[in-house]
Amino acid sequence: MIASIARKEFSEIVRDGRFKWTAGIMALLLLTALAAGYQKYSAHMDIQRLSQDQTNAQWLNQGDKNPHSGAHYGNYAFKPAGPLAFFDNGINNYAGTALFMEAHKQNFAVGRPATDQSSIGRFGDLSGAMILQLLMPLLIIFLGFTAFSGERESGTLRQVMSMGVSNRQLLWGKALGIGVAVLLVVGICALAGGVALSLADLSADNESLGARVALLSASYLLYGAVFLFLTLAVSAWAKTARTALMVLVGFWAFAGFLAPKAAVEISKAVHPTPAFGKWMADMRSHQMRGFDGVPPFVRFEQEAADIFAQYGASSVAELPVYVGALRLQKFEEYDFPVFEEHYGRLRDSYMNQRRLQDRVGIAAPTLPLRSLSMALSGTDLIRHINFADAAEAYRRDMVLKVNNYLATAASSFNTPGSGTFVADEAVFAMVPPFEFKSQGLGATLSEHAGNFIALLLWLCLSLALALWAVRRLSVEED
Amino acid sequence: MLQATNLTKSYGDIEALKGLDMTVEGGDIYCLLGANGAGKTTTISLFLNFIEPDGGTASVCGLDVTREPLETKKLLAYIPEQVMLYGNLTALENLRYFAQLGGHDYSQEEYREFLHRVGLQSEAMDRRVKTYSKGMRQKVGVAIALAKQARALLLDEPTAGLDPKASNEFSELLLKLKADGAAILMATHDLFRAKETGTRIGIMREGRLVDELSTDEVSHADVEKIYLQHMHAGGHYAQEGAGSA
Repeated sequence: MIASIARKEFSEIVRDGRFKWTAGIMALLLLTALAAGYQKYSAHMDIQRLSQDQTNAQWLNQGDKNPHSGAHYGNYAFKPAGPLAFFDNGINNYAGTALFMEAHKQNFAVGRPATDQSSIGRFGDLSGAMILQLLMPLLIIFLGFTAFSGERESGTLRQVMSMGVSNRQLLWGKALGIGVAVLLVVGICALAGGVALSLADLSADNESLGARVALLSASYLLYGAVFLFLTLAVSAWAKTARTALMVLVGFWAFAGFLAPKAAVEISKAVHPTPAFGKWMADMRSHQMRGFDGVPPFVRFEQEAADIFAQYGASSVAELPVYVGALRLQKFEEYDFPVFEEHYGRLRDSYMNQRRLQDRVGIAAPTLPLRSLSMALSGTDLIRHINFADAAEAYRRDMVLKVNNYLATAASSFNTPGSGTFVADEAVFAMVPPFEFKSQGLGATLSEHAGNFIALLLWLCLSLALALWAVRRLSVEED
Repeated sequence: MLQATNLTKSYGDIEALKGLDMTVEGGDIYCLLGANGAGKTTTISLFLNFIEPDGGTASVCGLDVTREPLETKKLLAYIPEQVMLYGNLTALENLRYFAQLGGHDYSQEEYREFLHRVGLQSEAMDRRVKTYSKGMRQKVGVAIALAKQARALLLDEPTAGLDPKASNEFSELLLKLKADGAAILMATHDLFRAKETGTRIGIMREGRLVDELSTDEVSHADVEKIYLQHMHAGGHYAQEGAGSA
């Protein structure tokens, strides 16, 4: 029974001119978006690989010099786009792609593609994700708003309801028929996405790709189902097709445009981002006066005796290692808690904003989906923080390695006037090239469990509305 | 088969049906006559459970239509004044869809046979019905009723707007169904056809059944005379109704 209803619904939809046009446009846009996303992704990854190789070569070939100077010369970390960035570019346009790692300083990622874009870029990238988030619901609405209301207006509903079919079966059948028609359009494009995926060289960037694709598909299916049942609910409830269309398009605009904008504004108002200049000045002055209020120079003097004792020495002259290197490393370490506190404060404000946005997201199904889509594509804030953390860990290790090397290799330079120690550039090979390994999918999932739940709640709500609306389904227009 | 017991229905202040009692047995073609607004369509809608009665019961084969809405609908076939079909589907696809909704399924040949029996040309069966005339659509409506193998038929002015030939063919089909033992309730304005095809005639006015006739006991002229008498007596009845209220 449900199958015959679905088949009739499907035949009617695909024979209607409406379907040919909307599906055609939708497919064209999706394919264009995927192609553009793929092109952008390949370009990003090519540049990322090339730059990383180049910066590694520069590091290794920086010439004979003092190893600590080598740490000042520094190294760059380039962020891979993210496993499914060609589908959902997430915050990549705004988050910075290159991070300079040097002695004494923790830096920001720079190179934000958005700064190179004209104001038209503000509308966001044309991406597969955007098309599915905004246009798939519209396609569902266009194909489904007449499901009940149109049949009521044309009078076929009277005859259908005289046949002894239950309202629920009618609902399931129609949902299935429309769903298959929508999947037909989206499925073709998903196939194209799959082809792009197999063409792309994801070797540097493919953590749990299969699981990501599966979870992304599930999220978008869930999202589509929410709009499908909402559409059927409104179509059954509204007296006329016109009313149904108006209500549905209104909700679509709210969910797709108003709610996301409102969520961002609310989250910024509740958890303000620190002003950059002040934040930077605070951090610098905190470094100067020392984390606990003891300036680094003073602190090193205080700790000197203990440090010497570790080496069984009572004076600089007796030290088996170069004291300058010890001091450099100590100063480096004194700054760690300062960086952690100030960068932590900045991140907390971003993370709190994001979490609040997710909580506001219960107001519209587009919000949790958007969050999930970015996270599963590996282009979200958490992944960016992972990247910054990885770069900082790499920086600390790099500085530690060169300072340690300097400490032992330059042990004879403790007497004043010994000059500057110079090492062969071969020593820089002790620092391995930077390679970004993100936290993996597990962390993403636990952070985004709430968004899955929000989508599921929306599905329950839309189902409940649809069941309620068909229960009181009237064959009359008045 | 079809039974209304003290059936009442109001729309706001307007009493559409004021305690209707009627029975249509298998093999009967019961023609409901009456002016527009007399309650004919309301009666049919009540049997279909499209609207809830305010009082009384409508039953099909002994089953109350409000308690067993799906079961009773399976026993009924409904042909409205305008049979509405899905324009982008062919007659065969429309027939198959409605038959499946009614819980039946047939082979493609059997569907063609149903359409053939109601007089639809073979070459029209595979055409999308948006090109169909009203007569052709009504034929598909009858084919749907045949495929449903209903015990009772509810017809709401099914021949209105049909040319005399199509109207005659429709009556022939009703007579066949009657011969098969179906109970047929038909709202109509066609006094001639009511006398010709019907076995009984009920005359409704202002929500009441004011007269019942057996067609074999009256002539064409009698039917018209009695009908018009009841219509003209309207003022008198209305005064009486107002007096008792």
